[in-house]
Amino acid sequence: MTSPVPASPLETPRLRSLFLLCFKIGVLSFGGGLSGWLYKEFVLSKRWIDEEDFSSSLAISQMLPGANVVNLVICMGEQLRGPVGALACVLGFLVGPFFAVVGLCQLFDALAGYPLLPVISDGVAFAAMGLLIIMCVHGVRRAMRFPPSIVTIAVTAILVGIFRFPLIPVACVIAPISVALAWRRI
Amino acid sequence: MRLDTLIAIALVFIPFSLTSIGGGAAIVAGIQHETVTVHAWVNSREFLDLFAVSRAAPGPGMMLATVIGWKVAGWLGAFVATLALFVPSSLLCYSVFKLTNHHRDKKWHRAMREGLAPVGIGLIIAGVLSLFRLADGGITAFVIAGLSGAILYFAPRFPVLGVLALGGLAAMLASTLSTWVSAL
Repeated sequence: MTSPVPASPLETPRLRSLFLLCFKIGVLSFGGGLSGWLYKEFVLSKRWIDEEDFSSSLAISQMLPGANVVNLVICMGEQLRGPVGALACVLGFLVGPFFAVVGLCQLFDALAGYPLLPVISDGVAFAAMGLLIIMCVHGVRRAMRFPPSIVTIAVTAILVGIFRFPLIPVACVIAPISVALAWRRI
Repeated sequence: MRLDTLIAIALVFIPFSLTSIGGGAAIVAGIQHETVTVHAWVNSREFLDLFAVSRAAPGPGMMLATVIGWKVAGWLGAFVATLALFVPSSLLCYSVFKLTNHHRDKKWHRAMREGLAPVGIGLIIAGVLSLFRLADGGITAFVIAGLSGAILYFAPRFPVLGVLALGGLAAMLASTLSTWVSAL
C-alpha cells in the first residue's frame, strides 16, 4: 500500500496513551503469552497497527537480542510516534516490573528466617524451569522442518550447557554459520 | 570502590544484552557463570532465589539482572544493571527495525530470521541444563519442572503464576513428607 492517502486511516495515539497502555501490560505481565496480549490491544482493540505490520515487527523482535516483548513495543512505538513513541513504550513497559521485582526481593529477604522459604523458592524455580522447557520443545518442533537447525540447536546447547564454554564467543561463531545455512536453503 | 562495582555491573551485563537471542532465558547460563563463578557477587543459593523471584514478578525474565544489581549495589546497582541489559539491545532493535522494515520480504532478511532462531533455542536449553546443575534438587526438581512444563504445554491458558505457586507448594509437601519418612 503506497498510496499517499491511507485507505483506512488508523488512529495515531497520544504519547500518554502509549505510555499508559504499555505500563498496564508491563505491570500485569506475569509469565508468557504477552505478544498475544499486545496483539489484542494494539491491533484488535485500539486499531493502531495493522495485522501485517504487527507480524513483521514480531519477527524482528524475536530474531534480535533482547526481551521479545520489549523489542516489540519499541517497534510499535517507533511506527506510531517515531523515536519518542518508542521511548514512551519501553519506559512505560519497564518501570512497573523494575519496582515490582525489587519489592518482591525485599519481601523475600524479610521472610529469610522462615525455614521453609528456601524449599518453596526452589519449587518456584523448578516450575519456572518447566516454562523454559516448553520454549525448548516448541523451538525444536519448529526446527524439525530443516534438520541442520537441529544440529545448530544441539551444538549450541552442548557447548554452553554441558562443556560450559563461554556463551558469547559460542553465539558469535555459531550464529553466522546458521544464517549462512538458512541463506543457502531459501 | 562503589563506582568500580557499578562499572563492573555494567561491563558484565552489556555484552549479554547483545547476545540474548530469543530473550532473557538464553543468557541465564552466562549470567550465572559471571555473577556466581567469576565475580562471586552472589552464591549458588542466592542466584537460584533471585531467579525464582525474577520469574514470579511481572515483566520480562531479564529482570534477573535488576535483582542481581540490587543485591550487589542497592537501587543504583539495580538501575545500572537494568540499563546495561536493556539499552544496547533496545537501540539495536530500534535501528534494525527502522532500517530494514521495508526489506522484510528480501531473502537476506528471511535468512537472518530463520538462522538466528535455532541459536536462541540452543542457548535456552543450555540455560535449563545449568539451572538444573545449580539447583541440585534431584528427583523433585525433575518432577516439578516436568509437571509444570506439561501443564502449560497441554493447557496454555493456565495462569503462569498458578503454576509457579503449585511448584512452591509441591516442593514444600515433598520436603515435609521426606522429614516424616526419615523420622519413622
